[in-house]
Amino acid sequence: MTETPPTRPKLADRPGPSTSAAQVGISVRDLTLRFPVYGVDAKSLKKRLAAITVGGRLGSHAGVTEVTALSSVNLELRAGDRLGLVGHNGSGKTTLLRALSGAYEPDEGQVEVQGRIAALLNLGLGIDPSATGYDNIRLRGRVAGLNSREIEERMDEIAEFSGLGPFLAMPVKTYSAGMQARLAFGAATAVDADVLLMDEWISVGDADFQQLAHKRLLGLVERAGILVIASHDHDLLRLYCNKVMRLQAGVASPIADIADLDAVLAA
Amino acid sequence: MESATHMLRTGRRGALFEFNMALQDLRNSGRRLGLAWSLALHDVMSRYRGSILGPFWITLSMGFMVLGIAFLYATLFNVSVQEYLPMVALGIVFFGVISGMITEGCDTFINAAGMLSQTSLPMFTFVWRTVLRNLINLAHHLVIVVAVLLVFGIWRHTNLFAALAGLFFLVANASWISMLVAIAAARFRDVPQVITSVMQFAAFVTPVFWPADRLTGPKRIVLDVNPIHHMLEAVRAPLLGKAVEPATYLLLAVIAVLGWLATFSLFSMTRRRIVHYL
Repeated sequence: MTETPPTRPKLADRPGPSTSAAQVGISVRDLTLRFPVYGVDAKSLKKRLAAITVGGRLGSHAGVTEVTALSSVNLELRAGDRLGLVGHNGSGKTTLLRALSGAYEPDEGQVEVQGRIAALLNLGLGIDPSATGYDNIRLRGRVAGLNSREIEERMDEIAEFSGLGPFLAMPVKTYSAGMQARLAFGAATAVDADVLLMDEWISVGDADFQQLAHKRLLGLVERAGILVIASHDHDLLRLYCNKVMRLQAGVASPIADIADLDAVLAA
Repeated sequence: MESATHMLRTGRRGALFEFNMALQDLRNSGRRLGLAWSLALHDVMSRYRGSILGPFWITLSMGFMVLGIAFLYATLFNVSVQEYLPMVALGIVFFGVISGMITEGCDTFINAAGMLSQTSLPMFTFVWRTVLRNLINLAHHLVIVVAVLLVFGIWRHTNLFAALAGLFFLVANASWISMLVAIAAARFRDVPQVITSVMQFAAFVTPVFWPADRLTGPKRIVLDVNPIHHMLEAVRAPLLGKAVEPATYLLLAVIAVLGWLATFSLFSMTRRRIVHYL
């Protein structure tokens, strides 16, 4: 992803979102998330990790060791926003994405999302390695809320997008990581999601796939969706995002324009 | 396609609020029962992918087990095969459902970790997945039930309506136990081992393999306090043309209500934490 072909149109140059889907939005207020750590000797864990700057803050509450993964995060995104999340490993990027997907309940504050959410956080999600590509597309489609008729209607399109051809009839365990990425990305973005949450891995595919994924993401933005993507790849963030937020041990920086990425990173 | 969906998650606490959220989870899972069904069907299909007989493999092995046990034990217990085989056959099939729902309950949330940690799918969906998967398996094993009822001519006495009512009571109870076990197993990894041992023990103290009327007098307490015996009897007795004691229905209804209340309360309290257990 370090070399970006100059032919690619930058997302930031695109016209703004249409007003028809303006109700799409993300609102996060004072979000605090603490993870209880179960099944670990709290004392030894604390000893081992307390001195390390990687990860969230460790503390103890009612005898259970807790990691404060996010503290008082505020975030307002409207239709057409593409937010890039930057930060060290364990700074809370994925946790924030998971909270936005509705999987984690806030310990304090609230998360509100208007619109259909598609989370592409884990390539292997809902993928059954011994099932065929087709079966996995069906399964994922069902999880995403489509009925079987809607899935069959989209099947050709997803199959074409994935570019996997005859491999779709083979078990997914025979796929390479890049092929899996094509399948997962194709299936997940076929559901007309308004809010797309992505964690890094888009850089898995080859150049062809990157181009296709790029088009898909453009389409999403044109439909006035919201994209939140966590990545360590600054070129990728510049390409896809118009806003950036930095997380540091669960504390969020104010949202800045992507043009100020260097300043945000230096802060 | 519906486009505007709304998701709100708050850090609000309080028993009533948590209870309402749990209730909302249940309602959402009801609205998406089709998803639970698809997942259950997928489980069954994928477990037997590439095999010729598919789920009928278990049916087949159960069939052989029934035949073997029936002829051997009928001699040991000194009862006629005519009388003993139907009892054992139905016993094995329906005890299998109860045992399946409970032991597989241990994996309900553990296996769903990936989905639970990046979607807002209702948690109840995965409970129904386990329950429905076992009902799909039961549908295959009904071959044995039908065959036995036909071969021994019992079908003339079968009270199908009572058997279906019994199945309802069986599922109503096995499903709350399944969910309770699912929550416990997610939090404490010793639970699956404990449950496996308990169900093995239950297979011997419940009259699956031995006629219940062998126990007489005060020893019958072993049967009376065993809820699995009542669950089994509620289905098996009417199929064999026998009457179900009213006390069995009463007991099953009471256990179902109390069990679901307890399980649902536990779920309300732990709902926000379950994903972190995994």
